[in-house]
Amino acid sequence: MTIQEARFILSAYRPSGADAALPAFSDALRMAAADPSLGAWFARSRAHDAAVAGKLRQVEPPSGLREAILAGVRVSDSQRSRGPGRTWIAGLAAAAALAIVVISMKAPTRPASGAAALAEFAINDMANGRHGGRGEPAGALIAELETRGARMPSAEQIDFEKLRDTGCRALNFAGHDVLEVCFSRDGAVFHFYVARRGAPAGGAPGGGPSFVAEAAGAAAAWSDSRFDYAVASTAGLEAIRKLL
Amino acid sequence: MTNEAFTQLVDAHYAPLYRFALSLSRNGPDAGDLVQQTFFIWATKGHGIRELSKAKAWLFTTLYREYLRGRRRDSRSSSFEDLPPGENEPVAEDVDRVSRIDSAAVMSALQNVDEPFRAPLTLFYLEEMSYQEIADALDVPIGTVMSRLSRGKSQLRTAFVRAESPGTKVLPFPNAKGERAS
Repeated sequence: MTIQEARFILSAYRPSGADAALPAFSDALRMAAADPSLGAWFARSRAHDAAVAGKLRQVEPPSGLREAILAGVRVSDSQRSRGPGRTWIAGLAAAAALAIVVISMKAPTRPASGAAALAEFAINDMANGRHGGRGEPAGALIAELETRGARMPSAEQIDFEKLRDTGCRALNFAGHDVLEVCFSRDGAVFHFYVARRGAPAGGAPGGGPSFVAEAAGAAAAWSDSRFDYAVASTAGLEAIRKLL
Repeated sequence: MTNEAFTQLVDAHYAPLYRFALSLSRNGPDAGDLVQQTFFIWATKGHGIRELSKAKAWLFTTLYREYLRGRRRDSRSSSFEDLPPGENEPVAEDVDRVSRIDSAAVMSALQNVDEPFRAPLTLFYLEEMSYQEIADALDVPIGTVMSRLSRGKSQLRTAFVRAESPGTKVLPFPNAKGERAS
């Protein structure tokens, strides 16, 4: 074994020493013990690894993520237990409720981790370009949604492909594409989601909406012959009921 | 799985999963989406796993696959083979450098490592997974894991040096009075 080969193997050696007894490392470890230069390199490498690992473990997830995970799965489970036909509807409602949390995490709050995290967030958000796409189809849909007293759109008003290219956001929920546009009505902000039907255990079209209320927001979901829909807001369940 | 057991599972793994997702996606909201999607898949498919000791590996593997699936959809794949060989010379200053910068800057440096190396490096540092566990989680050969760890560490050191260079130095975040910490 050459010095370079030993270094290569020792690069996979965990800084805690948890690999000390593994045969794959024994020759390289012996070599490091016998060769002062390799030994010094190994000591520096482990110290560096330990320092990096310690710093990375200080990165905290955003507040609200845990609650969003638990809320989404709990809602989905409870709806599934009521019958197989409601799974996707309930899931979409849960996704809408979760999206409120995700959107709130995108707000320009000051992260505890400091300027680098904020700068990285701003650059990535800018570069990923999720803000654009207010093209004509999305604009028309938003205008419809923002019309006071108008009902939520139906399949005839939805061109999924065009909206995919021009919608506010394209999400993935349980392996299915979900499009979202944001709109405001009567001073409240709402998020409208549409997904192609065909999801496993999709609900029967034409049934009444399912409502979900969580600490993070409220949502309703329903279906027609072609699409599953959800609308979500932090304005509360009553504000959502008025839209439907 | 009971709600209580699921809550325990989330509590045990959502933070490390988020860190892993953040290193991969380089974007906080996308990382949150990945973690949520991973637990949703668990709730719909993975709860059949009876041994909770295997849950951790399952969650990391699933998150990584979801990330790759999303990346393929975005057609932003990169060629592993075209990447240059790494240098492997940690010096004493490297440790001091890491000590001087904050955790967000360390994460930012990790996010600048080429993608093929980032996933094994993150599992190595954050989860202290062995090379065998990383190979299992990412479904790549052991030799590939060792190679990617070696080259990834080299790139990470370079990223730390760049983070400290005058043109890209990260300034302390202002406090409530708008003053910068010394």
